[in-house]
Amino acid sequence: MALLRARDLTKTYGSVRALDGVSFEIGEGITGLLGSNGAGKTTSLKLFLGLISPDGGSAEVLGQDPRRSPEFRTRIGYGPEHDCLPAGVSAAEFLAYMSEVSGLPRTAARLRASDMLRHVGLFEERYRPMGTYSTGMKQRVKLAQALVHDPLLAFLDEPTAGLDPIGRREMLELIRRVGRDFGISIVISTHLMGDVERACDSVVVLDAGRLLRTGAVSGLTEETETLEIEVVEGAGALLDALAAKGLAAHLDGSRLTLEHVTGSDYDLIRDAIVSSEALLYRLAPTRLALADVFSARPADTGADEGEAA
Amino acid sequence: MTTGPAEIFDLGYRGYEGERTSRWRRRLAIWRDGVRISLGLGRSAGAKFASWLLIGLALVPMVVLVVFAAFLSPAEEAAEDFELPSYADYYEWAHVPLILFAAVVAPLLLCPDRRDGVLALYAARPITPTDYVGSRWSAFLTVSATAAWLPVAVLFTWNALDARSTGSWLADNWDVIPRSLAAAAAVAIPLTTLSLLAASFAKRRAYAAVATLAVLLVGSAVGGIAEEDFEGSVADILSLASLSQVSVDTVKWIFSDEIERPRAGWVSGLWLTGVTIVLAAWLLQRTRQLVRE
Repeated sequence: MALLRARDLTKTYGSVRALDGVSFEIGEGITGLLGSNGAGKTTSLKLFLGLISPDGGSAEVLGQDPRRSPEFRTRIGYGPEHDCLPAGVSAAEFLAYMSEVSGLPRTAARLRASDMLRHVGLFEERYRPMGTYSTGMKQRVKLAQALVHDPLLAFLDEPTAGLDPIGRREMLELIRRVGRDFGISIVISTHLMGDVERACDSVVVLDAGRLLRTGAVSGLTEETETLEIEVVEGAGALLDALAAKGLAAHLDGSRLTLEHVTGSDYDLIRDAIVSSEALLYRLAPTRLALADVFSARPADTGADEGEAA
Repeated sequence: MTTGPAEIFDLGYRGYEGERTSRWRRRLAIWRDGVRISLGLGRSAGAKFASWLLIGLALVPMVVLVVFAAFLSPAEEAAEDFELPSYADYYEWAHVPLILFAAVVAPLLLCPDRRDGVLALYAARPITPTDYVGSRWSAFLTVSATAAWLPVAVLFTWNALDARSTGSWLADNWDVIPRSLAAAAAVAIPLTTLSLLAASFAKRRAYAAVATLAVLLVGSAVGGIAEEDFEGSVADILSLASLSQVSVDTVKWIFSDEIERPRAGWVSGLWLTGVTIVLAAWLLQRTRQLVRE
């Protein structure tokens, strides 16, 4: 089921075209909205939140036009990139208030606020003014306030901004847990491919207002799967044996690399190793990073692939 | 009978399956928060100080006068020499602390939300920018109108109790109640709207307070010069620049008191209403812009 749907979405600010006829769908699970600065990520989020109107095309959230009524936002969460937490207020009080504004009764709002702060690891600190929190704690409160009213879908804008490597890993694990255990779908807007690879099930890549690619993260990296074979001796013989079976390999010292290996190729590779009598040390598929996928296709506009996905 | 070892169960995440409230309840939550901010409730003593001091300055003099009158009441000669102010006259004094209250406290309802980036969170909630600013506006109006009405209510209560027959006095003077409510609204609505509009342009409370006071002081100066140096309709028109004086004139008109200038009371009332509507429309447009930024 598509939670978000963009159809020929276009948005222009003066002479700048922030989104240029973009079409994609986002389903359940954790999705990365990936792109560099100015790619159109924030504009997309604002369109999906109903804060601005498109110049062309349409945006749909949970099957509704977000401009029609704010009611759909009872089931939507949002964590902005920038600071959004009042310094003099405690996290418990702030979350309870935001929960009430999101449509929960007062008593339930207070219970949910404490519950969410427990889930993000801030239960003990919940009555401290948020101005005394570290950056990591503030990011957790931002996540908690996006989830406190139990939305179906939450938008998180750069949720790892300003975090050190350990804090970043913990935040991404928390987001994975929200998607997996809480059953809340997440859309992460980020320019960090590593975050998408670690946390997301699928990805929508925007570049200069156009759709570059969309699909499952595993699918994108699988299609350029590379196999590395490392031998102790007999690398040359193995290269010839592979060539004899129609498999092109690149030899670098004792290491052979085969591109675009499919499932049926593995039988041929096994036979080649046996026939060449090479002494095998390691054989492992190398999953390329998203960065490799996109840097290898700089001219790929991706419009066709996007629609196909 | 033996008991097993203690176990800790992690209930895990539990979704919310209860009722979700209406938009009115969400507006009420913002209104309640606005009232708490206006009075400094749940905040530090410092946050309460300005609010309660200025409300006290508007209210306490009337309480003192009434208590003084109560002490003098048994001594009839002394009581005859002492006269309590009229309902409208008291606003000439109370207007000053009420202006300061609006200038200093109203920005607390908008400036921190803007400075701390909280407006982005309101934008993503199931409310509109109009809901947000309308709830904030009505929250501060509730507090400032109450502060403007309470002194008159104290005076009204004393007058009723001091009369030879409270029942017949109330029958003759019941119209003071709606008039006093209208007078409190005439003072509080323009001040609330102006001070929140100033706050919508500033991230810092001090700047918003200075802007509000500047508008009122410059207006008063223009009005004062107009009355000193001009005559006739020119003076009348220019003196409308003094919103605080126009507000006091409107209050006098509401209580049917004598107005010291040739301009009819209803003209002041109409002008005040028009200016307030323009300021409110501007505030609404400005807040919509801020929330969507």
